[in-house]
Amino acid sequence: MPLPLLQRASRALLILALILLIFHLAVYLVYAANLIAFPFDYDQGEGFELVDTVMFSRGEWPYQDTEAFPFYSSNYPPLYHVIAAPFVWLFGPAYWYGRLLSLLSTFVTSGAIGYAVYRESRHRWIAILAGLAYLASNTIYHVGPLFRQHISMVMFETLAVVLLAGINEVQDKGRRRGLLILGAGLIIAAGYTKQLAVVTALAAGVFMFIRQPRRAILWGLASAAAGIAIFAWMTWATDGEWWQQAILANVNEIKILQSLALFQQWFGLHGFLIVPAALVVVYEFYFNRISIYTLWFVLAVAVNGAASGTWGGGDSYFATAIAATCILSGIFAGRSLRGTWQFRSNYLSRLFIDPARRFAPQLSVFALIAIPVLYLGYGRAVLKMPTNLPVFEQIAQVFQIYPNAQNGFYDSARTQDGQYAAGYAAIGHLTTEEDIAAGYRIVEMIQADARPSITEDAAFNIVAGREVITNPTQLLNLDLRGIFRGDELIGMIEEQAFGLIVLRAQFYPERVLIAMGQHYEQSETVTMNGFEYIILRPKT
Amino acid sequence: MWRSDFTFSKRLLGTLLVALGLLAAGGIIAVDLLDAGREGGFGPAQQLALVVSSSLVLLGATLIPLGNDPA
Repeated sequence: MPLPLLQRASRALLILALILLIFHLAVYLVYAANLIAFPFDYDQGEGFELVDTVMFSRGEWPYQDTEAFPFYSSNYPPLYHVIAAPFVWLFGPAYWYGRLLSLLSTFVTSGAIGYAVYRESRHRWIAILAGLAYLASNTIYHVGPLFRQHISMVMFETLAVVLLAGINEVQDKGRRRGLLILGAGLIIAAGYTKQLAVVTALAAGVFMFIRQPRRAILWGLASAAAGIAIFAWMTWATDGEWWQQAILANVNEIKILQSLALFQQWFGLHGFLIVPAALVVVYEFYFNRISIYTLWFVLAVAVNGAASGTWGGGDSYFATAIAATCILSGIFAGRSLRGTWQFRSNYLSRLFIDPARRFAPQLSVFALIAIPVLYLGYGRAVLKMPTNLPVFEQIAQVFQIYPNAQNGFYDSARTQDGQYAAGYAAIGHLTTEEDIAAGYRIVEMIQADARPSITEDAAFNIVAGREVITNPTQLLNLDLRGIFRGDELIGMIEEQAFGLIVLRAQFYPERVLIAMGQHYEQSETVTMNGFEYIILRPKT
Repeated sequence: MWRSDFTFSKRLLGTLLVALGLLAAGGIIAVDLLDAGREGGFGPAQQLALVVSSSLVLLGATLIPLGNDPA
């Protein structure tokens, strides 16, 4: 085929890939709009992040003694909730602004990925595709518009990495110092958004150490001092609860089988981008300088991937690795299309590269078609969409896409009969008016009883205007570490001091669940958002 | 190393990775030997850690011949 024709074919395929990823963006926006309008917990834990936000808005710490009423504490660092706190002053407790902030943070991350790819490859199309690829990932789609802090952490991490990537090439001392302060500040911000950001701190530290050990040690010490000072102040200000609740209670055992299942799923969904990203890693180790993106990718995959098997982990732990994958695969794609690969002469290039140089023209032609196909393949691999909404319904019919999740939702991460890897978030579907009505039914039940209620999702108490009692997952975290007694809580359950107990996943410590079973009985079940909410009332 | 223009070579990085991998592998095996009374032997987490540390040794060893190329 003549070259101009191939170039036109390549451009056409790039346009197709762009259309596919814009379609993914449209699905993401529809999902986000649906969640922003939903007034209850969509993903369990959102409500407790709202409680943290409300507490910060009142100037209170959410790191509390869980042995005393209301037995509530948070296990998350504060930054995301502090950022959302002003919205509580303006609008009261609500889910929409936290979800909107998270959504916006994914756009910032997507933009940073696109910028990084453009800076390295000077290829606009690929830069746009790389940014959109991040938003198209099933994992990012799931957690992107949630009132959860995780995705904001990824934003701070990505901004820090993109900022520090070229730091050693900045000649102006003042500018370099300013960028280093900003980069270190963003890493500290990521760490105080979620503890998992430690891999980014490690990647940045190793990168700087390899390039310029003196600068790495000096700046590393200064950053560590700043981070430790904040940590010490928080531990002091909370009478040690910050240390107990957010650090001690967060050390959980890794279930290797869950980690392996999630690794397999991650590769199955993102393989079209992981392979080129891995090739860049190999290239940089053996034929060029090692970039911060490579170190970030390797550490995020290894450490966060392994940690995805912990209790409380899951596929969202791959979000940082996905951002790194999008950058590296974008660099691969841009360089391949521009033909800007350069290999240093060494024993490996003599063995593998030099014999292949005579095929360089053919490889360039191959890249014209293969690179857009990679993004098309990725777009198909991460496909997820509602199949019962106008427009989407017609698309589903044309392409024979059948629902395999709740409310007519199709998710490529699931088998056609709805099975998915252990630890994968069973969300992504849209909520309905019936779900909202069901939520208000539970709220009315709470309001009908003058006594406080325990609800496993915080939303019901929040919407009912009642105090939120306990944070079940945190009690379980503490219990698994052997640092939760629960005498007072169990005593109140035994005295039937609570009017209603609303259970969903029953993530309370076993002793608490036994006390509930002994002194309360099931009166009914309410289905909301695909989950069965068990309503318990005191036994007579 | 403390000079402002010092940067790691591939050889130095490779040497460090080999040393780190050998130390880690030695540590993993030592833990198992010292804890000989425990039932179950070499668990999946230890096997995985040994694979990672062996990979570090392999990576380091292949970097050493690259000499003074900056890492």
